[in-house]
Amino acid sequence: MSMHFIKAGMQTSIQDLGRTGLMRYGISRGGAADPMAMRLANLLLGNPADTPVLEVTLAGPAIEFQCDIAIAIVGAEFELTLNEEKVEGNEVLQVKRGDTLAFGRLLSGTRAYIAFSGTMDLPRIFDSCGTNLLGGFGGLDGRAIQKGDTIGFTELRTAVTRRLPAAFRLRYSGHPQLRVVTGAEEHLFGKETASNFYSQAYQVLPQSNRMGVRLTGDTLSTEQIPQQVSSGLCPGTIQIPPDGLPIISFVEGQTIGGYPRIAHVISADLHTLGQLKANDRVSFLKVTLEQAREVLAGKFQLLDKVRAHLDS
Amino acid sequence: MKPSFTIAANGDSALDIRFDAVPSEDLSRRIIALEQAIEARDWNCIQDLIPAYQCLTICFDPLGCDRAELISDVEALAQKLLTGQPKLAKPSRLIRIPVCYEAEFAPDMPRVSEYTGLSAEEIISRHCAPHYLVHMLGFSPGFLYLGGLDPALHCPRKETPAVSVPAGAVGIGGSQTGIYPQATPGGWQIIGRTPLQLFRPQCQLPFVAEPLDRVEFYPIDRKQFEQSEPNTLEVIPLEPAQ
Repeated sequence: MSMHFIKAGMQTSIQDLGRTGLMRYGISRGGAADPMAMRLANLLLGNPADTPVLEVTLAGPAIEFQCDIAIAIVGAEFELTLNEEKVEGNEVLQVKRGDTLAFGRLLSGTRAYIAFSGTMDLPRIFDSCGTNLLGGFGGLDGRAIQKGDTIGFTELRTAVTRRLPAAFRLRYSGHPQLRVVTGAEEHLFGKETASNFYSQAYQVLPQSNRMGVRLTGDTLSTEQIPQQVSSGLCPGTIQIPPDGLPIISFVEGQTIGGYPRIAHVISADLHTLGQLKANDRVSFLKVTLEQAREVLAGKFQLLDKVRAHLDS
Repeated sequence: MKPSFTIAANGDSALDIRFDAVPSEDLSRRIIALEQAIEARDWNCIQDLIPAYQCLTICFDPLGCDRAELISDVEALAQKLLTGQPKLAKPSRLIRIPVCYEAEFAPDMPRVSEYTGLSAEEIISRHCAPHYLVHMLGFSPGFLYLGGLDPALHCPRKETPAVSVPAGAVGIGGSQTGIYPQATPGGWQIIGRTPLQLFRPQCQLPFVAEPLDRVEFYPIDRKQFEQSEPNTLEVIPLEPAQ
């Protein structure tokens, strides 16, 4: 009862919904970079939302299964094959012992999630199976999957074959508008600089990763801003370092930071960051705290709708 | 003196309680006392508390609570705590950390020496003299923000950060000193290395120190470095906290 990695992919790691309560020790929340896609993959299989999954990044793995198991792949769109026959994401695939799942070309997005109708046999560290790549713990030996790795399953379940209706499938344009709320230091930038920030379409830099999304565009001046004393830094926070180019703190971001914060991506839109890759374009739209809460509530209602639809 | 504070949004799911006072031991004690008091309330919607030099960040689930209510509850708690001496849940400790300052582990010692005008021996003796205060942990897992570096040792960061600094590297960056818990890129001037593992996710005590603990460095030679047990920690209880 296991799966064997014939190919690792660029950065394949085990993730769940991450850890809370440890930022005070410098440990980021971590977890899936796109928890919305991860939740949908688990929903398809009837799994609890935080069941550990594989997070696939840009170039996917090839996996040989040594047991019969149901899987679901949601998120970035890849060309997928099972024993060299084309298969689709967004639906439950019944995999037989000896089958090989292979990821081909990436068509849209950045990260896909593979959920399983079984529990991966992994230790929980700080109450999570998620891999913290920076801290080197969690998941499989605290690292990304390597060629030749094998992960066992316990508690195999059966899952009905079903698919996500087209209306509920995630799509990635590569140029999202991210909703943000006022930055804690926005007032220090001055009106002109702030309006420059909101009028730009920034380009995503290739150095972006689970720690942070780095952007390039017109630089914003921070010269007049006094140095900040370091304090708590949360995912989604957009800091402007001295080079004037925004960095969006992400799921494995530092927990303490000191660059001025011009804006914060709203919680409801954080999952969109997980589907950004080099040369994508992002722009920012300011909303109120109340609107941010409504959008978040709306996204959870959508998940409830998907669940109701699948179960009907 | 009682510092005043403001409560401001840090995005849609966090609040910053920021104190209008310079970083100090007294302020850190108040911030940690507030953190402990909030934790004791066991508010379900609170997911993380991040203490820092002048600020306590409260991360919450925006769907799990009423923001205005949370602000007024926290404000009342902070007001109450800021009058009088803060009461702390745990006594602080002195953590002794061995550091090998030999050349092999101290690639930037010549630069620090040149900048400060002090000999390596003098730098080591001044670096080992204070009982540094742990203001907070953060940045990366297990990194300690220490207060109390001798001003004679203040030294600018590297203009171009080193591509990789090994785990355990002890450095000086501006007015701060600290230890890199993981191998990461880093801009501090490296003057030594500790054989201690600062972040031990498998251990019962994964972090070597907590906020308000004291840290002391002591020099060891190359041989002691090699024989040292990375998970053994020398801890001396200090006077119980009030």
